[in-house]
Amino acid sequence: MTKLLFANIDEPDLNTIDVYRRHGGYEALPKALKMSRDEVQAQLESSELRGRGGAGFSMGKKVSFLPHGAMDKYLVCNADESEPGAFKDRELIQKNPHQLIEGLIIGAYAADVNRSFIYIRGEYQYQADILDAAVKQAEAAGYLGERILGSDHTLSLVVHRGAGAYICGEETALLDSLEGKRGNPRLKPPFPANQGLYQGPTLVNNVETLSNVPHIIRMGAKAWAEHGVQNSTGTKVVSVSGCVRNPGNFEIELGIPTRDLIMGLAGGPREGCTIKFFFPGGSSSPVLTAEEGLDIPYDFDSMAKAGSMLGSGSIIVVDDTVPVVEVAKKVAKFYAHESCGKCSPCREGTNWTVKMLERVDTGEATPMDLDIIASVQDQIIGHCLCVLGDSMAMPIGSLVRKFRAEFEEHIERAREARGMGVTVPEPEPVGIAGADPDVGPY
Amino acid sequence: MPRPEPKEITFTIDGLEVKATEGEMLVDAAKHGDVEIPIFCYEPKLGQPVGACRMCLVEVEGIPKLQTGCSTPVKDGMVVHTQTERVHDAQKAVVEFLLVNHPLDCPVCDKGGECPLQDITFGWGAGTSRFIEPKRHFRKPLEISPLIAIDRERCILCYRCVRYSQEIAEDYQLVLHDRGAHSFVGTFDGHPYVAPFSGNIIELCPVGALTSTAYRFRARPWDVETAGSVCTLCAAQCNVSLTVRDDKVSRVMVRDHPEVDDGWLCDKGRFAYQAFHVDERITEPLVREGDELRPASWDRAIATAAAGLARAGRHTAALVGGQATNEDGFLLQRFLREGLEAHDLDSRLGAQLPVELHRALAAPALQASVPDLEFAHAVLVLETELMDDAAILDLRIRKGIRRHNLKLAVASSRPSALDPAAEQVERFAPGGVGRFLYELASGDHALSDWLRDAGQDVVIVWGERMGGAPGGANALRALLNVAGNLNLGEHEGAGLLAIPAVTNGRGLREAGVLPNAGPGLKAPVADGRGAPEIAAALADGDLRALYLLGADPLVSYPGRGAWAKALDRATTVVAHAGVLTQGIREHADVVFPSEVYAEKNGTVVHPDGRVQRVRQAIAHVGNVRPEWQVIADVARAAGFDLGVLTSAMATKQLFAAVPFYAGLTAEGLAGHGVRWPAGDGAAKAPEGDLGPFTLEAPAPEPAPTHGQLRLGSWRSLWAAPEVRISPSLQFLHPGSSVELAPDDARRLGIEDGVPVEVAQNGTSLRGRATLRSAVPAGSVFVSDETAILTGALVEVRRA
Amino acid sequence: MARVQRYPDGSRVPPWDRAVDLNKEPAPVPEPAVTPVPEDLRRTIEAYMSKYPDRRSAVIPSIAAAQRHYGWCSPEALDQVAAVMRLTPAYVESIATFYDMFETEPKPAHDVYVCTNISCSLLGADELFEHFIETLGDEGDFNIRAFECMGACDIGPMASVDGVYVGPLELDDVAAIANDVRDGRPVLSRKQLAHRAAADPGAAVPVPDPDTMAAGPPMPPERGRGEATSPEDEP
Ligand SMILES: Cc1cc2nc3c(=O)[nH]c(=O)nc-3n(C[C@H](O)[C@H](O)[C@H](O)COP(=O)(O)O)c2cc1C
Ligand code: SF4
Ligand code: FES
Repeated sequence: MTKLLFANIDEPDLNTIDVYRRHGGYEALPKALKMSRDEVQAQLESSELRGRGGAGFSMGKKVSFLPHGAMDKYLVCNADESEPGAFKDRELIQKNPHQLIEGLIIGAYAADVNRSFIYIRGEYQYQADILDAAVKQAEAAGYLGERILGSDHTLSLVVHRGAGAYICGEETALLDSLEGKRGNPRLKPPFPANQGLYQGPTLVNNVETLSNVPHIIRMGAKAWAEHGVQNSTGTKVVSVSGCVRNPGNFEIELGIPTRDLIMGLAGGPREGCTIKFFFPGGSSSPVLTAEEGLDIPYDFDSMAKAGSMLGSGSIIVVDDTVPVVEVAKKVAKFYAHESCGKCSPCREGTNWTVKMLERVDTGEATPMDLDIIASVQDQIIGHCLCVLGDSMAMPIGSLVRKFRAEFEEHIERAREARGMGVTVPEPEPVGIAGADPDVGPY
Repeated sequence: MPRPEPKEITFTIDGLEVKATEGEMLVDAAKHGDVEIPIFCYEPKLGQPVGACRMCLVEVEGIPKLQTGCSTPVKDGMVVHTQTERVHDAQKAVVEFLLVNHPLDCPVCDKGGECPLQDITFGWGAGTSRFIEPKRHFRKPLEISPLIAIDRERCILCYRCVRYSQEIAEDYQLVLHDRGAHSFVGTFDGHPYVAPFSGNIIELCPVGALTSTAYRFRARPWDVETAGSVCTLCAAQCNVSLTVRDDKVSRVMVRDHPEVDDGWLCDKGRFAYQAFHVDERITEPLVREGDELRPASWDRAIATAAAGLARAGRHTAALVGGQATNEDGFLLQRFLREGLEAHDLDSRLGAQLPVELHRALAAPALQASVPDLEFAHAVLVLETELMDDAAILDLRIRKGIRRHNLKLAVASSRPSALDPAAEQVERFAPGGVGRFLYELASGDHALSDWLRDAGQDVVIVWGERMGGAPGGANALRALLNVAGNLNLGEHEGAGLLAIPAVTNGRGLREAGVLPNAGPGLKAPVADGRGAPEIAAALADGDLRALYLLGADPLVSYPGRGAWAKALDRATTVVAHAGVLTQGIREHADVVFPSEVYAEKNGTVVHPDGRVQRVRQAIAHVGNVRPEWQVIADVARAAGFDLGVLTSAMATKQLFAAVPFYAGLTAEGLAGHGVRWPAGDGAAKAPEGDLGPFTLEAPAPEPAPTHGQLRLGSWRSLWAAPEVRISPSLQFLHPGSSVELAPDDARRLGIEDGVPVEVAQNGTSLRGRATLRSAVPAGSVFVSDETAILTGALVEVRRA
Repeated sequence: MARVQRYPDGSRVPPWDRAVDLNKEPAPVPEPAVTPVPEDLRRTIEAYMSKYPDRRSAVIPSIAAAQRHYGWCSPEALDQVAAVMRLTPAYVESIATFYDMFETEPKPAHDVYVCTNISCSLLGADELFEHFIETLGDEGDFNIRAFECMGACDIGPMASVDGVYVGPLELDDVAAIANDVRDGRPVLSRKQLAHRAAADPGAAVPVPDPDTMAAGPPMPPERGRGEATSPEDEP
């Protein structure tokens, strides 16, 4: 299968500028700089490259949304990659940082941006060090800085490390975090393209999205777009993990059967197990059972039609040895832990869901609680400030819907194991419980 | 800067066509159609909406997802639904989420009855609860400052209070810690949230999470009445709404006036009401018997006062304190000038200024208004610390910077709270304002260019105290030249804004309480002496009686030594006082109990020329009588009838006597007052010479000899008797603080916090050293409630 | 139902009940004249501030620097960050408490973040975490934390040991990790993510033997002659 992003990925020292250049690196950049900004943007647009960070929005369109004219504009590369199951950006940064930097410089040129940042999650310390070194090399080589390669394009690039918060992957939370604030998402509109970092127009793109840019310029949008299928052009690095024999990142052409990915490249389930369900696009996508999902093509539209989504392109496979309640609890706890707390449906809804699932797990729930869980998910979806709330509600909703029988059985079994009937939690004395005896309850 | 022009549009809400202003948020626009969209986090005063609580979700045709009405600007032709099932479900969902961890302690919650959460749950909630998990429980309540208690169980994390601290007060002391459902409102490492405007968060909180320790459990909303008035505790004159229970003020809240206070109050204004009802207050007349002031009947007190004053006749002088109303000042100057033929009276603290200067500086074209501070291209804050002198204006300037790209310059001797927000900071030595203005006027200063290039609307906010200092008149002429250079008189949004040293400084001048001007700044029958000369004349025996209307020269006037001598010699001292301060206790022969503003009727004038009405909210405490009435009674007893029988008559007399108040009526002032320089009065203002003046070069400032420092002083917002006697505010009453530059401190062997002595010609003052990097080397600042030190240079040493 | 765990003051969540101490002074922007900051820390923070158009952007790296300097985000550390950055310490603390990698309580020197999220837990991460706690929890040297997905599900179950990703881990690896850390060796070099080849069969080329390499991260990883690594990598 064609390798673009992953071509020569394990070549020793590909992360250094010399080896990268030996493999044709930094050839797209002078080519782009010879084109006009509009031409580069037209290339991006006609490639139909869709964002690889989750939302799948056309990169070329996003570039075109940035207002023209002299003002402070910014490009921010989203390298926060914190969604459970996603680890593609990590490998791209670690092994081929210059591919990203070259794409970022070209993207900045197209968007007429002079300042750029890579926001990398704090846990990726090794990868951030590699990026820092690569940026220094690129600066020394004149690919970054004033009047790049003699053109009128000027760009600075700062690698900014996060400190552990999934929500900072959401583009507006990322911008707040980069501005030195708590990573809370902002209201949209205004969208970052109009009012982003430091109130200036800002282009936010994922690592993989930007890493594709040199290839589009090098090959020409048309040739590049021949990979993949309609509406899902190009190749995609897919992270496959969980109950498979060969977990890892695989670069595929969009549109291949999901089965080839999971059963073929990733080696299929472990000895003696069968696949129960999988998350096709990271932990925030509604799950698909093996029957539903294995035979649909792995691309944006097909996944959406199947009631799920491609998201960041991360598949988590769950086999039949794993209780569905366990998975649901993990998912819910993750989102409860990562909710920023700004909006009420997400803050309270994720926590409520965790508490209910814990009762389901210990057998202290009734099937009616499953209805409440499902209804709480419906109350979250579409009501939150950003989609983190939905990101829990959609998979949890799908799990409860698709595996209701197992949930009910689980409750039953857990209750029998405890030798108890249904109990409502022991009521806590309100207020008085924590009261300071000297002050009194109020 | 051009203010936004409202444009009317039509949109449809719940099938009703409604007119609204373009760009208004849906929740506001909906009100025009009598539709209420519930909200928690939305508060336009806090700036951009944040869309956090999600209570205001509505359906907008053409947009698939529900939209937050608080952040969706209304557009022409928009079709909005708030009564569909989808919207109802969303609203019920949000209420349910908010109640998930909210305790059901309404019966014991202070917010009960005026709680938005209660109301919205009733109006938009499902009415049932499906949440059976344990709620979060926390110790409650906890103090977050001596003034405010926080109950974190009740907090619904609407972000209002922390947004306020960060985006309005900009003190950044109240923040959110942690994240997600663990988020909580708090401060750094257990430090209390003490900041000049902290109390506003109590009013912002939509639940009972933040409550006033002074008001907690004092009343339920249905026990109280509210009354509107104007706070007279500082020159900002914020509009307030007093919560009255059993004829006692039990709370002060904002009475949002966009052109005065913008809906905020400082903590002095909010909490000093406690001083109305404390034992320290004088509530009956006192007459001196030997060394002691003894309670006396009104008749006796009035007769004693009248006899003394009549005896002194034209050898009587009067000082009028800043909280007096225009009417009080007006009546007193009539009594002196017409009744006693005495001409020595003053409402200012420092040296006299030529009357032409008063007139020129009051020229209507030159007057900037409070909103101008927000919309100007640039503001220069000149030798005033707004935080202390007119606190609420500090917030206004910050708002202008944040929202309207206002550019700020600060020029002062003492570092200002606004410095970090300023683009330009000019620091001169204490007493150096004259030289600075001289340079600024002659165009020799970097700031001259900056001001000229800043845009046409420039506002200069200047501290009136500088006019009373040596060289004050010259400095003010230079200021007028600067105003002329910048054409401030010709632009609507430009001008000067004088911050008086006392609350009603402007009103008292206009009412005629000046030695060289009568009502309306007209020439008086005869010129008299100003405050410093009155002190000298009393000491010389040239003057014999002194009438103190809410003033104690030993407390707030410069030249304490001279005043001590003056009071010693005076044969009759008649005073109106609220508390017994030193000068009154030791020297007054008759003391009349002063009213507090909640008991007063009358008018005051805001620094920007707005005549505002102070209205009585509670009955007089104890045996207190209205001041205007006491003055009239004393005058009558001394043989002069002022012809006033009610406060309304006094107001009428005043308005008739001041030409530029023509057309004003007490009723016409209504709730919002009238800015006379922007109204009919402008044409009737006295003409003043606006320059340009030929300026004399200022005298060189005295050079410090070895080890001496230049002395500057300031008066803290909290250095007020109301603060000292309000139980919960007491802790803010400042001790004497001595601010030093770190380098000077090192040289003098002084560490932060140690007691020091500031000495000058045998007089000295003690205080605690505070090291501040922002203080320029060579200067020292002392917080000065007593104004003992008068010279320019001092020595500072460890005490 | 199990009894709810409570803190001594009766509440279950520690920080919420933190009352203010009314005897303390309020905490505005620290006065530089009375807030000494170690010179190297000050220089580091100032260098960060100079990288951004708005100095406030440097707050995360600056807190990280203070945490490295003091071992944790002590009130003193946060106050110093605030002093250099001209922010209030409350603001700095509100940032520090938002992010998982900042710790506002004293902690042991070595950070061991064990991923207990979905993919890793499907492969035994919860047992692994328990084992870490049992073996090293009382040691005093290791700050063992259950972490959310760290973006290394391909080596699950995994952990990040002082920033170095290792996996797939077996229970036996725990002791080896502890020994490596104590002896100052590269942690579990054969299982370091840094030396792992791509799983994609079309892309993989041999990766060198880690033992011949320099001490692992930081970068750039040197690569020499090649030889395939662990069997899981082989398609
Ligand atoms: C909760 C949440 C987490 C996200 N995390 C990431 C992330 O880690 N990396 C990323 O590239 N995009 C993430 N996104 C998507 C970004 O908001 C944004 O759409 C993306 O960075 C845009 O880049 P793209 O157009 O190149 O995909 C996240 C979105 C949400 C709502
Ligand atoms: S304390 Fe009140 S104002 Fe502050 S976040 Fe909580 S509910 Fe909102
Ligand atoms: S009022 Fe609109 S989200 Fe809170």
